[in-house]
Parts: sequence; structure tokens; C-alpha cells
Amino acid sequence: MFTVYRFLLYLYPPAYRSEFGEEMLAVFRAAQTEAWKNDTLVRSRFCAREIKGLVVGALSEHVRTIAGYDRTPVFFSRRIAMRSEFRFPKVTVTLMTIILAGVVLAIEKATAIQASVPDSYQHVGPIQPAHFTFLPTMLVIMGGACLAGTIGWAILFALHRSGLHRLAEFDPASHQGSGGRTHA
Amino acid sequence: MESLSVTEPVLLILLSLADRPRHGYAILQDVQDMSDSRVVLSTGTLYGALRRLLDAAWIERVEEQDTPRGRQSYRLTARGRRNLQLEVSRLKHLTRVATLRVARKEM
Repeated sequence: MFTVYRFLLYLYPPAYRSEFGEEMLAVFRAAQTEAWKNDTLVRSRFCAREIKGLVVGALSEHVRTIAGYDRTPVFFSRRIAMRSEFRFPKVTVTLMTIILAGVVLAIEKATAIQASVPDSYQHVGPIQPAHFTFLPTMLVIMGGACLAGTIGWAILFALHRSGLHRLAEFDPASHQGSGGRTHA
Repeated sequence: MESLSVTEPVLLILLSLADRPRHGYAILQDVQDMSDSRVVLSTGTLYGALRRLLDAAWIERVEEQDTPRGRQSYRLTARGRRNLQLEVSRLKHLTRVATLRVARKEM
């Protein structure tokens, strides 16, 4: 796990890694030693929490690096939820099993009905097998999303809100020395 | 509040540093103790929050000679303490309002 953790640290930007990487490794080792005194369930939770923390943290740091400011995605914000972490409800597994069983039963029932109805039955007619429509549907959705994105960008561009105009007016010479982190 | 949203983990980290400086692992344990194990921070979450708090100058590193990286301690700055007090006042006010509203509803 320690090796995996060390490897996952490479997801972070180099500057962050050089500042906190070694410290994070030391703290992780201490936390892992404590977690390893418990049973497999606690160990698994520990591993899942650490991996999730690293991936989300690395993502946030990259967003900050690219955008130049903190922009933690809304769904990671706990301002409203005031919960430490997402907890997967145990009852969901039961509900999903029931739903799956229902779907399987419905398919079985439909197959039985299809077999029992003769092709020449005039009120129903021949029941054709369902065609596989997943791929065309996905293509239509993706096409729609691309179109909506293009229209949205065009509107932003027309309103001078796309950032391109500001980028064109940007003078690097006048911004030198204004950046940099604050170290306390 | 100054340019930093005080999420629950951030609040707990600030509270952990309110009485004395602590290093990373001590903060993890203290946050877990304070929240009765409801909030268990990962190292990624902890150091993300510490980085933001350092950037906002709410906390600072305690400069010590020959301190290994894993034992690097942090403490609240005057700004961090002021903002923590503001947040605590906000929560007190919220609790007072909530208590009144709930009591009114029960009457």
C-alpha cells in the first residue's frame, strides 16, 4: 500500500509534491501502522479513503494550478452537507438486488408472452425482437452535447465572455512579479 | 471571513491547532477524536486543507531545528485565530436561531 501511495503522489503537481510529498508519506506511514492493527474491513476503508483523498486532492491542485485560484468542485464541497465523507448506504445493495431481480423476471415474463402469442394473431400481430438502440442513442446525445457546447461558446464569444478577448489583450510584461505564493 | 470557505474539516483542523501547534498525524488523530470518529481525514484531504490555510496565512509552520518532514508542526496565525473566532461566533448564532426555531415548532 505504501508503494501504491508513493506512486499516486505523482498525480499531484511537482511543486506541491516537493513541498508536501515527503511529509504526506511520513504521516501516511504512521496512519497506516495504526490502521494495520485492525481487521480487514478497517484496512480496506483506510485504503479506499486514502486513495480517494489523493485522487480528489490531486484533481483540486491541478484545477488550482490551471485556473490560478482555488476552485474546488461543488460536489466535493462540504459547506452545505457538513459531512466528512460520502457514505454509501448499505440498504442500496438490497434495493439494487431487488431491482435487478425485477428486471430479470420482467424479461422472463416478456419472453413467455412472446412465445405464447402466435405470429398470426390479428390483434397483436407478430412481436418483433427489440433492436439494439444504445449506440445510436449515445451518438445522438453526444452530438447534441457538442452542438449545445458550440452554441454556448459562440454566445460567450459574442458577449466577450469567453476569455479569448482578455487573453488577446494580456500583456505579460505588466504582470511580472504580481504572482507567487504566500508563505507564512 | 477572508477568502476561504470554512468547511467542516477545515474548521476541525483550525480547532485542532487552536490550543497548541500540532504536526500532521497529530491533527488527523485530534480531528477524529473531536468528531467522535465521524470525520476521518485522509492525508490527501488534510494536506489540501493545510496548503489552502498556509496560502491564506491562517496557519504557519513552526520553525524548528532538525525537524524531520513528518514531524513538521503547524500553528494558528493571528489572522487564523481571528477567523476561527468569527466562525465560532457564526455557529453560535446559528445554533441559537436553530434552538429557537425548533422550540417554536414544538410548542
